[in-house]
Amino acid sequence: MIVCVAVVGHQNNPLYIQSFTEADDALKLHHIVHCSLDVIDERVNNPKKSGTTLNEAFLGLLYPTLNYKVYGYLTNTKVKFIMVTTDLDVRDTDVRSFFRKFHAAYVDAVSNPFHVPGKKITSRTFADSVSNIVRSYTFN
Amino acid sequence: MVEPVNSSLGKMLFEEVSPVVMVLCTPLVEETFLKNGLSLVETLKPFCNFSNIDVPVRTSGDQLYRLKKFTLRLFYASDIRQPNVEVAKQRLEHVITQAGEKDFQDLKSDPPQITDILSNSGSEIAPTWFQYYNKELIRTLSFSDHEAFDHPVACLLVVSSKDEEPISKFVALFNTGRLPSLLNDGAMDPKILKHYLLVHDNQDATTERTSKVLSEMRSTFGNNECNLLCTNSSKEGDVEHQANPWASFKSSVSADKLGCALTGDDIVEIKDLMQEFASRHIIPYMEQKVRELNQQISATRKGLRNQIKNLWWRKGKDDVPDSTKGSMYTFSSTESQIRILGDYAFMLHDYELALSSYRLISTDYKLDKAWKHYAGVQEMMGLAYFISDQSKKEAEYCMENAFSTYMKLGKSGFQNATRCGLWWAEMLKARDQYKEAASVYFRICGEEPLHAAVMLEQASYCFVLTKPPMLHKYGFHLVLSGDHYKNCDQVNHAIRTYRSAISVYQSTTWSLIKDHVYFHIGQWYAIVGMHDVAVRNMLKVLDCGYQSKATQEIFLRDFFNIVKKTGMKHEVVGLQLPVINMSSLQVIYEDHRTYASQTSALVDESIWQSLEDDIIPSLNSGKSNWLELQSKLLPKKYRESNVCVAGESVKVDLEFRNPLLISTSITSVSLICELTANTDDLKLDKEPSSLSLGPESSSDHNQGTASGFYSFTLSEVDFTLGGGEKKLVRLEVTPSEEGILKIVGVRWELSDSIVGVHYFQSVLVKAKTNKGRRKNKLTPTDALKFLVIKSLPRLEGSIDHLPEKLYAGDLRYLVLELTNKSESPIKNLKMKISHPRFVNLGNQEEELPTEFPDCLMKGHEQKIVQHETNRTSSVFAFPKGVSLQGDRSLRWPLWLRAAIPGTMSLYFTIYYEMENVSSIMKYRTLRMQYNLKVLPSLETSFEITPSPSRLQEFSYCFQIQQLSTVGCRWGISLLQPVDTILPSKSLLAGQALSCFFMIKDCKKSGTEEEKTMSLPASQTDVKLFTQDDNEKLFDIVNSPLASFHESERSCQGASDQVNPNTVDFILISRLANSSNPSAVPDSSIFLSHHSCHNSIRSSSPLSWTLDGPQTIYHNFSSSLCEIKLKMIIRNTSDGLASVSIITIDSLPDAAGPTPPTVNQSGWRYVPSVTEEMKLTSDVMGSRLGKPPSSMESSPPFIWSGLSSTKVQIQPLSTTDFPLQISVFSPGIYNLASYKLNWELSEHEKASSSGTCQGYPYYITVLQSE
Repeated sequence: MIVCVAVVGHQNNPLYIQSFTEADDALKLHHIVHCSLDVIDERVNNPKKSGTTLNEAFLGLLYPTLNYKVYGYLTNTKVKFIMVTTDLDVRDTDVRSFFRKFHAAYVDAVSNPFHVPGKKITSRTFADSVSNIVRSYTFN
Repeated sequence: MVEPVNSSLGKMLFEEVSPVVMVLCTPLVEETFLKNGLSLVETLKPFCNFSNIDVPVRTSGDQLYRLKKFTLRLFYASDIRQPNVEVAKQRLEHVITQAGEKDFQDLKSDPPQITDILSNSGSEIAPTWFQYYNKELIRTLSFSDHEAFDHPVACLLVVSSKDEEPISKFVALFNTGRLPSLLNDGAMDPKILKHYLLVHDNQDATTERTSKVLSEMRSTFGNNECNLLCTNSSKEGDVEHQANPWASFKSSVSADKLGCALTGDDIVEIKDLMQEFASRHIIPYMEQKVRELNQQISATRKGLRNQIKNLWWRKGKDDVPDSTKGSMYTFSSTESQIRILGDYAFMLHDYELALSSYRLISTDYKLDKAWKHYAGVQEMMGLAYFISDQSKKEAEYCMENAFSTYMKLGKSGFQNATRCGLWWAEMLKARDQYKEAASVYFRICGEEPLHAAVMLEQASYCFVLTKPPMLHKYGFHLVLSGDHYKNCDQVNHAIRTYRSAISVYQSTTWSLIKDHVYFHIGQWYAIVGMHDVAVRNMLKVLDCGYQSKATQEIFLRDFFNIVKKTGMKHEVVGLQLPVINMSSLQVIYEDHRTYASQTSALVDESIWQSLEDDIIPSLNSGKSNWLELQSKLLPKKYRESNVCVAGESVKVDLEFRNPLLISTSITSVSLICELTANTDDLKLDKEPSSLSLGPESSSDHNQGTASGFYSFTLSEVDFTLGGGEKKLVRLEVTPSEEGILKIVGVRWELSDSIVGVHYFQSVLVKAKTNKGRRKNKLTPTDALKFLVIKSLPRLEGSIDHLPEKLYAGDLRYLVLELTNKSESPIKNLKMKISHPRFVNLGNQEEELPTEFPDCLMKGHEQKIVQHETNRTSSVFAFPKGVSLQGDRSLRWPLWLRAAIPGTMSLYFTIYYEMENVSSIMKYRTLRMQYNLKVLPSLETSFEITPSPSRLQEFSYCFQIQQLSTVGCRWGISLLQPVDTILPSKSLLAGQALSCFFMIKDCKKSGTEEEKTMSLPASQTDVKLFTQDDNEKLFDIVNSPLASFHESERSCQGASDQVNPNTVDFILISRLANSSNPSAVPDSSIFLSHHSCHNSIRSSSPLSWTLDGPQTIYHNFSSSLCEIKLKMIIRNTSDGLASVSIITIDSLPDAAGPTPPTVNQSGWRYVPSVTEEMKLTSDVMGSRLGKPPSSMESSPPFIWSGLSSTKVQIQPLSTTDFPLQISVFSPGIYNLASYKLNWELSEHEKASSSGTCQGYPYYITVLQSE
């Protein structure tokens, strides 16, 4: 199950962060997402480790915590997508397709002329489409 | 990268992996050393570290090498055992608590900035007590049974010279029964090097006895093994050591007491003793032992044959239970021997030999599944690899291996794993692999929260040191660590970690995390009693509108609790609750412009200016411009500041917004102002820091303690803001002295517990009443700076009972009340009204004699006052004599009439001058503004059609109460009785009513001078309301109706002089009071509707009348009757009309007014003439006539004379025209069978033409008797 998705701007400012759990663990998930930014920075700054995927937006598994797996995705505008899942057995292709859909939803949201770039995404349509995408993905 | 030997791990290894010396001593020895505040071991400890011992060593190889650094560890025999877990835990906790207390003072300072953290070098970031803690942690694992480097290498037996029978004491000390159990149960080799030391106390022992004992010892134990130590040479015991060697080892006692009885010579002696002990005894002994073991092991285990034998032998031992059950390897077993060899070699810095030994043994342990031993050996291998700077990979592999092996052992291995992890992490740090080190720290967190907290914190510092720094993880681990600390009640540490974490989060927008950190650190500061810091941190979370309501409540509740605990009202600059909307800031002040009400102050200045244009220059035209005047008087410095008058308030509007969902109460909102005397230089701006916290500092501003401050009064406002609510608050300051007033900021109290302050400085202000001329020059601060001038009279004005809503045509009597509160008089009052159509001033200062609306009635003396003079300018100058002073008020009558429907703003501006003109301001204006909503009421339309049958009578339609024509030219009369027009006496909403009146031109032809008084008044007024007969008619000639009418005239008609033949009507009506119960039943609402410049509208420019006898008696038996008629035609148009009259004898076609058949029933039926009927009335009589049977064959009459005539009629003139008919029989005849064709030529313009049908004219012809 995907427990959290986040969009983080290129200055590491949160643009959109939404958790999909019943429990009151928003703070924890925020921390996890915030932490994973370091890993993204590291990946981006040391591309030699992943030479084959030089031009790819998908950053793969950022880091595994005890209960979660965190995946990342970096757009050309240096906006980061982060996804936290509790599924331990995840195929990369699934995650890739998830991020592609997520990216499309994001592009739709920021194409709104009333959206201010760099500000939080408040569009309800975006929230709806994201939660739809999230619901359609269970990796096991 | 540092050399492995010089790295912190290298240093640690020198200290921790070093030979252990077991110390056995008698109580008297201890007593001797306790005089210095130190035990024996403590006394000796500082001298056990040899940085340059320079001893040649030869171990396995033939090569000699020199040992430079060496360390001995001294332990009492009683301490040589595995430490109790609980005790160890307590000790660790103590270390942490102590460290926390030490840090306490730092907590008050501001949290470190992230840039500071990053610029620090690695060692400075982490607190120093981590080293100490780690050492202590490692020490809890000393004397474990699977390692050999804690095995005592030598034994130091110490006896005092004061002891009885010292020789036997020496023997007794090394009694096996008193030795540590580890030596006895075979884990350690009890056959160790023994060294005998006799302590001589110079203070209370005799040298003779000592030398005797010493020689005795030497003879018993051998010359080399015995030493004498003389101590306490200082008799007084007050020696002070410059660099106290013990200070760093024992911090609890004040350092200057330590070693007070030891002179410098004593210390040198101790030093020499220890050096000799190490270099002469321990190192050679170890050397010897290593060589011995090496030989032994080479014989048994090295070489291919031995290896195979060993393997085979091991295989056979498979079923032997592994190491979990007690120690399977005693010191004498081959495995232990190899391990000892390795450890000794390690301690002697022969890492090659150590490694080869460890390698040899590790396979054995692995085969034996002695995992703990195996892990221990792997650990040592890793360290050996590291310190000898060999393969990094191998070193890491070994550490990893050891670590995971320990972890596999479960709980029992965890402690060892921790130590291994610490070493591993140090190793990685030494190689700048900080990220890996952090993950190692993370792995050794374990379950115990305190331990985890320390490890997490260490991990976090590693993240800072990685290149590039991983600050997000740094923050996260600090937060985690802080939470763990908090769980163990280590609040100081928790605060410390969170403080550091703030530096990561403070500039980000991760508000959820930020709030969490700030809130908790605030809470914790409160726990440790630092309420002010707590409050400062808590302030950051107040603007948490995005949090859930429950969270907000918690935040606020805790915040106020803490604030309460501080015991005073803190003042906070930049308090986030409530949020001040600075763009809403509006300053309203009055200089020469004064305002009657709030709304009038908000009116656009240009409206007022355009209104006042007429008044102001007209008075000042003779002098210089007032603006110049003012600028001359004002010092240049102040010219740009605004002017306000002492005693009059400056108002500031400010919007407060509550960002929370919870309602908060805000009290004592007031401005912060400074008032300095004129002569003083402007005070330098005190730049308040962005977030200062202190008790009531802003009140300094308001109290005015310093010289040059004067008093002023401030208004205070209390209000409550609901969740998300916005409120516009008006604040006032009233200076009472002259000077410079500066509005600095605003302060408020939040829930009676904290004072918020907001300074305006950096904000753009729109000072509402600024003139454009000044605005350009003004900086924002200038806009809040006022020049206070001496108090001046200020006129206050109001209009009583001005309705907000009224109906079109509504006429009200109102009173304008002007008051001057001050003592100095004002004069030259002038007033201008923006809508003179709506408002009329009464002509004098008087109370109305009778009540409204009776005053409007006729019957009072008729004063035809011509006050139309200068009405168009709409400036009303009050009489010269009017001057106001003191509390006297001036009441001036005012008439209001809602002329047209719609929403209106009425602007009144009253100009006045001060009598004593010593001030800068010569005059002031009072501005009043009222909004009116005028609802549509009666819609009147007047249509005047020329009466076809009368020359100068017209009918029109309209509605209620009284209709008057204006002027005396037109008379008016009803066509029908009132009751038939308006049976209900009122018009309902939406109802339309048409009434018909007749008006008559009363003007005698062309005689203008007869106009006045030619008619009685009753003829110009028609009363349409008959209920109350004694009610008088309204007087329309007198003011105010007349003046309103005058303005209506000017509004409605553009060219009122062009056509004298127009008529103006005034319809006066009353609002029915029963129609709407909710409406105010005000019977005195009178509406007047004015309709001006109504002219006769008709299709034809002609009016005519047939003039002739009405009734003719004729004897038809003799002849036919010829009747002469006269047609008078009037040309009502402006052009020359040519008219042709065509008479029609035959019965006209369908369009004709006469019916085609006489049999038709109807009013035209002419009954036979009877005697009775003839007498009934004149009217009935006129209908008498011949029976219709006589009309069958021929038309009843024929037009005789001309059948077609053409005449020219001059404009607006009349012409007579003779006509004649012949009647053949008696009857009533309608002479409508003619038409007028007219052609109009208006001043060479295109002419128009048309045809008029004749209208009925009845003539009665009777048979004469």
